[in-house]
Amino acid sequence: MKRGLVSWEKSELPPEELATRLASVHTVARNRDVNALVLYSDVWRSNDARYVSNYMPYWNRAFIVVPREEKPILLCSLSPRVYPWIKTVTVHETIIASPSPPATLFKLCVERGWNRLGICDLEGLPADLHAELTSRDLDLVDIPRNEIRPAPTEVEVRMHARAARMAREVLGQELSAAAGQTDHELTGRLERLLRRAGAEDVVILVSDGQGAPVPAWGAAVGPHTSVVVATEYNGHWAKVTRNVAGVTSTLPPARGGLKELREILSGSYSWETVDNPETPAVVSLQVEIRARNQRLYYGDTCLQGREGLHVL
Amino acid sequence: MVRLDSERRKQYLDLMAQRGWDLLLFYGDSWRKDHFRCLVSVCFSGPQAVAMLTREGEIRAVVTHPWDVEPVRSATGGSVTYAPRLVEGLKTLLREAGKAFVAINGLEQMEARFVRAVIETSGSAPARATADVEEIRRVKTAEELGWIRKAAELADRGYEQFVRVARPGMTEFELVAEVEGYLKANGAEDNFMLVASGGTEVTGMKPPTARKLQVGDSVITELTPQVNGYYAQICRALIIGPPSEKQLESYAIFAEAQKAAQDLLRPGVDICDVARVQNDVFRKHGYGEYTGAQYTRVRGHNLGLYPDEFPHVLENVHYTCKKDMVIIAHPNTYLPLSGYMVFGDTLLVTDTGCVSLNKTERRLFQT
Repeated sequence: MKRGLVSWEKSELPPEELATRLASVHTVARNRDVNALVLYSDVWRSNDARYVSNYMPYWNRAFIVVPREEKPILLCSLSPRVYPWIKTVTVHETIIASPSPPATLFKLCVERGWNRLGICDLEGLPADLHAELTSRDLDLVDIPRNEIRPAPTEVEVRMHARAARMAREVLGQELSAAAGQTDHELTGRLERLLRRAGAEDVVILVSDGQGAPVPAWGAAVGPHTSVVVATEYNGHWAKVTRNVAGVTSTLPPARGGLKELREILSGSYSWETVDNPETPAVVSLQVEIRARNQRLYYGDTCLQGREGLHVL
Repeated sequence: MVRLDSERRKQYLDLMAQRGWDLLLFYGDSWRKDHFRCLVSVCFSGPQAVAMLTREGEIRAVVTHPWDVEPVRSATGGSVTYAPRLVEGLKTLLREAGKAFVAINGLEQMEARFVRAVIETSGSAPARATADVEEIRRVKTAEELGWIRKAAELADRGYEQFVRVARPGMTEFELVAEVEGYLKANGAEDNFMLVASGGTEVTGMKPPTARKLQVGDSVITELTPQVNGYYAQICRALIIGPPSEKQLESYAIFAEAQKAAQDLLRPGVDICDVARVQNDVFRKHGYGEYTGAQYTRVRGHNLGLYPDEFPHVLENVHYTCKKDMVIIAHPNTYLPLSGYMVFGDTLLVTDTGCVSLNKTERRLFQT
């Protein structure tokens, strides 16, 4: 679960930015001739909801329903006791308690006379929700994600960049002094600093130089240790990888033969492998560098586009 | 560290034989890794992973992150395919098996396109295996209990750290950061943690905010470290400074309710009664209305590879408790005396009753 700070810093994410995004979603709804557009959200698939309303669930499932000309409505499986808090960190003024989001959505459809809904990535819905939604006599229109979120906005890029800075600073501070610690101890120190700096979530992987990065397992930090820090700042993920040896690489690597892993950080999940290296997106690029039978890792968070990569 | 529990595998094979399933898929995603980890105990990094158990007991897997290949292969000894798009990975996996009756653990959480890929490749709709597998998972093996004991011990130490560092002026998120750093440094893989601070205005817990702790605050937490996949939980309340009479009165009710649950819990007991005896304590003290959904969620739940497993401890849920289940009984709710308060221990059901796996003192803590 997300157990770091979830906040809405209006100096970083102005309400006008969210209003602009909402207007573009309304345009999609009009163009597709749907009564409302629906986006799914859960604790690890929150980028779509965060984009539309700044809703970042710490747990559980939800639907964001955007009627054609109205503000978004949150159909939320969390307890109504947390709705006052949700209202302080999102644009949502209307939150409907929904142990079953589809059931609430059907009720809304009846109340408002809706019969045609746009669903963001219909086939990506969890199977039980998909089965429930498609069991009713409703016209469901699959809306591809890139129609709603064609490219990261400047504000999103800045937020991802801030998350990346947080990760780089903390790694830079801790990795040089990590010799002699266990990977658990190093992970603990990184987590503490990142969360104190306002991280919403943190995931850390460690490689001992022999294998791929994995969660800490009690190994000693050594000269061939690499550390991958994924950190989320108010809904925007970054991944930064450094190694104790201080070996770096250009991103993308200038020389061939290095294994690359490129993941999208602004897609459906918190991270997933990139389909197209030219699609505008915030990505992480990790490079595996082989040196003297050891594997070192280096990587950073980048803005990807037709012009190539730009480290944030 | 054993990453494949042979006892569990045998239970799943028996289940497949009973149900007539040819293949049993274990689907996990970033949120519900437990559906995968109940067969292959690897904390995968990709958005999804699937393990396929054949009737012969062979395990093959598909992972969506290249870094997951080695640990999953090392755990299963079987073939592991890296497929950045799970649809393709599933088709490859199932094509080799030909027409087969497939069941899926975690089917409900699976993207609809993945289920479609299974149908297209296997030739029929998959059976839902989640409830059957969850029933098997409820009764813990000796090895699982070992991990849960470690998690409970870490929960105790984590709560000690919580009490040690909490002080006026500290924000809620700084407090959580201190505890999280401590838990990770001491071997926690993950942690489920809710928190709240304040007085009678506090109606529930949530992620930490930037609110600063003040003298007189009740600071409450559900702390749930995960060790090798398994969670144990502790719930306690801490008062910043000396507690008020009302806070003490409130705590006494919670402690009495939790004790009632612990006194009752044993094999054969209906879980609804574990909820009822807790709620009866609130009713006896005139606070019966605060046991409903408006003020609280559950009076506890099962623990294991997921921090909020079924059955939930509620008066309208019927389930006969079994030996070696691990349940937290927590009468957490809002009371006008103190605001939302929490109190609970992780309980292991034994032959004749239950024992708490937590050693933390049962009291209202204060700084």
